[in-house]
Amino acid sequence: MVSILTFIVMIVVGAVVLGFIAVSAMFLIWWERKVSAHIQTRYGPMRVGWHGVLQSVADVVKLLLKENITPEGVDKPVWWLAPFFAVVPSVMVFVCIPFGNLFGINLIARDLNIGILYIMALTSICVLGIFMAGWGSNNKYSLLGGMRSAAQIVSYEVPLIISMVTAAMFAGTLSMQKIVEAQKGMWFVFQPNMALAFVIFVISATAEINRTPFDIPEAESELVAGFHTEYSGMKFAMFFLGEYTNLFIVSALAATLFLGGWQGPFLSPVLWFLIKTYGIITVLMWVRWTFPRVRVDQLMGFAWKVLTPIAFANLVVAGWVLLR
Amino acid sequence: MIRYFKDIITGAWSLIKGLFVTFKNLFSKAVTIQYPTQKLQMTERYRGLADLRVEKCIKCYMCVKICPTGCLSLAHKENAEKKKEFEHFKYNMELCCFCGMCEQVCPTQAIYMNKIYEIAVYDRDKITHIDLLNAGKYDEWAHPTVK
Repeated sequence: MVSILTFIVMIVVGAVVLGFIAVSAMFLIWWERKVSAHIQTRYGPMRVGWHGVLQSVADVVKLLLKENITPEGVDKPVWWLAPFFAVVPSVMVFVCIPFGNLFGINLIARDLNIGILYIMALTSICVLGIFMAGWGSNNKYSLLGGMRSAAQIVSYEVPLIISMVTAAMFAGTLSMQKIVEAQKGMWFVFQPNMALAFVIFVISATAEINRTPFDIPEAESELVAGFHTEYSGMKFAMFFLGEYTNLFIVSALAATLFLGGWQGPFLSPVLWFLIKTYGIITVLMWVRWTFPRVRVDQLMGFAWKVLTPIAFANLVVAGWVLLR
Repeated sequence: MIRYFKDIITGAWSLIKGLFVTFKNLFSKAVTIQYPTQKLQMTERYRGLADLRVEKCIKCYMCVKICPTGCLSLAHKENAEKKKEFEHFKYNMELCCFCGMCEQVCPTQAIYMNKIYEIAVYDRDKITHIDLLNAGKYDEWAHPTVK
């Protein structure tokens, strides 16, 4: 009897998480279009609903109704599995993201004591989906995009993880909930070497989720659309969903590890968490619509020659500060 | 070593400057308009469709002669008081190259180019046989159905 109840609770929580992800992704697509439009002194979507808020809904309906085309010569199993590999890990990461507490309930599906390790392990699987899409499409542009993505994500994961380790060292734990609780008095970002770690984290996270200025895997002007050139309809929508879910995840991680997560005065914790997360997302969008794309060699050089040494030096300094 | 750090600092500063530029634009007013509902006023010298001030025309045929594509066709007759009267004055917009020569050559400024720019129609006859003598010929185009 108890097991059935647990099962029902699991399903309900899963449905809530999936609903949140879908609505959040749709909102982010609209928000990105609006931010980009205003940066370019345009209006953006204006027709569907108030200031085009329902534009994403219309787009989703269109994508659902579209024909699912499988080109000739694709590697079918790899081709079919790729979108799932791109989305499922992103959804699984939501297990240990602390949303704060609402009416006394802690909004975290399971507070794992190896939270950060779990998140890093799963976000690394996303690259597999992108690489499978590139390989399975049997298309030179897709293959190049997938290859570039793999190289990029492997490179940028090093500074990303080192900056996350810095946060874990200061908190003394890998559990996301406990990291937030450790920032009760002061957010980590207000300490000098954590501020540096925060900057490194945001830069490498931008590269990790393939956003401009690091969007070489899907560089439109070079590779058509990179790894998702051959995808259409619902499969394309899954890649899109995965991309915006990843955007939410890295922003939520930045908010949790460096900006005190759901900690904050006056407002409800959930509200604080969402304000911080969407604030970071807006900054990432602002960056995306400001900077041009970097070249592949510049991208690799920046990861290995600039970010990684600085992240290592920062880690050593953080260790010295803690042991002093 | 010094160059390494100098590059990082100057690079970061240039990125911040770029961000500042887009931040200013983020809150500036949009330069685009919501087209079918809002419309731009055409400029003074814009050349739209040929139009006629019927009362000013002296039937001198200058416009018909100068037209490089021969899109205007005019005919007249003399009435009992030996005054010129229109038989017809037709304009074939399909041939028109919107050069504005007719407007320049007209001694009485009777023929001119108006400001209409939404000139697509469903019926080909509507653009090949435009009767310049009809006062309401462009009503449908000047006031499109979308408000």
